Amino acid sequence: MTIRPPTLRDKRRYLLVRVDPPGTQIDQKELYYAVSDAVTSLWGDATAAAIVQAVICAEGDYVVFRCRRGTERELAIALSTITQFRDTKCALRIIAASGTIDSLRDRMKKPEPVADGAPAAECRFGGKDCQIAHCDGQKVDVIEKGFKNTHRLFLTREDLEKPHATTIPDGI
Amino acid sequence: MKITDAGVCPYPNGDSSVRRFALEAAVLGFDSLVAIDTSVNANYGEVGVRAGLFIRNAGMKDVITQVKRVKETGTVVSVKAGDAGFNRAVVSLRGVHILRGIHAADKNAFDHVTAKMAADSRVAIDIDLSVLIAGRGIARQRAIQRYRDVLVLENRFEFPLTFSTYARSVLELRAVREISGLGSLIGMNIPDVERALAGVATVTESLRPAVKVLP
Repeated sequence: MTIRPPTLRDKRRYLLVRVDPPGTQIDQKELYYAVSDAVTSLWGDATAAAIVQAVICAEGDYVVFRCRRGTERELAIALSTITQFRDTKCALRIIAASGTIDSLRDRMKKPEPVADGAPAAECRFGGKDCQIAHCDGQKVDVIEKGFKNTHRLFLTREDLEKPHATTIPDGI
Repeated sequence: MKITDAGVCPYPNGDSSVRRFALEAAVLGFDSLVAIDTSVNANYGEVGVRAGLFIRNAGMKDVITQVKRVKETGTVVSVKAGDAGFNRAVVSLRGVHILRGIHAADKNAFDHVTAKMAADSRVAIDIDLSVLIAGRGIARQRAIQRYRDVLVLENRFEFPLTFSTYARSVLELRAVREISGLGSLIGMNIPDVERALAGVATVTESLRPAVKVLP
């Protein structure tokens, strides 16, 4: 089959989405199924067929979705109903919508380089030992140390500094 | 207009601290939050956090006692909806700001009489976004039905509305634009969503007399 001329092709739109929490492993195929499930559950098969959603690329914490022009709103609402992905709690934050992928790439924030071999910073919160999983400005994500019930806690520097100021290493 | 999420559950009920909630809420476009079951009344950066009391599964006597206890502390008081009689009593009780969980109550629990009483005493009806976000299938369909029904009454009687995400984690918070999209699922247009986002400010500000008597 020959390729259609541009005037006969479907007009597409691209959505730039950031996956929270940072550092979540993104498998494009599984993400596609999660989005497809959310779209079908919310809008039904007929609208899902009209949206024609697809995962174009995943770079760092960012993912680019594609949909048919005019259905961005429906896709965006469906994306906001995704609460977990691969049994991990996550949130898809919509950053921008555009007609080209190039313009979306400009809005992707480059990840900060992590020093290899650096010891993971530790702290105490709520009487428990925690390991710092991510730190961005005032935001600090920590994971409780242990073999089970190791939840990720979303805190700020102030939360860690005020009650246990002496236990915080300089790393954070 | 103060854009407010009328219900979040910070640490220890959830996995995020109040400060972190405030930081994320500022990024997502909120001006204030109501932190349920906390006694925090503070500003963190640009976001104001108000203490919230959520009274659940209590009889009318308990409700009255608990409302009296937090009187004039600036706490946002909300009560979980029950049957029609309970809801009417709660709505007419001074000091109650929000009636929550309408989607889970009986179909006749919130009727035109309660709606009129809510409008008269300026008690807001809460729209629980967590059902729309995390619910699937029949649970979400029922919630959408109930909220559409509530909106019919709201158009007629003009009682205040509020939006709550009941977020236990910052990952469960949603941006103002996303809330506007979710509101459209239950038939709300942009002005309706704006009014609902400002609902907490509407019900907590003190009433000014319509007529001022000059000496």
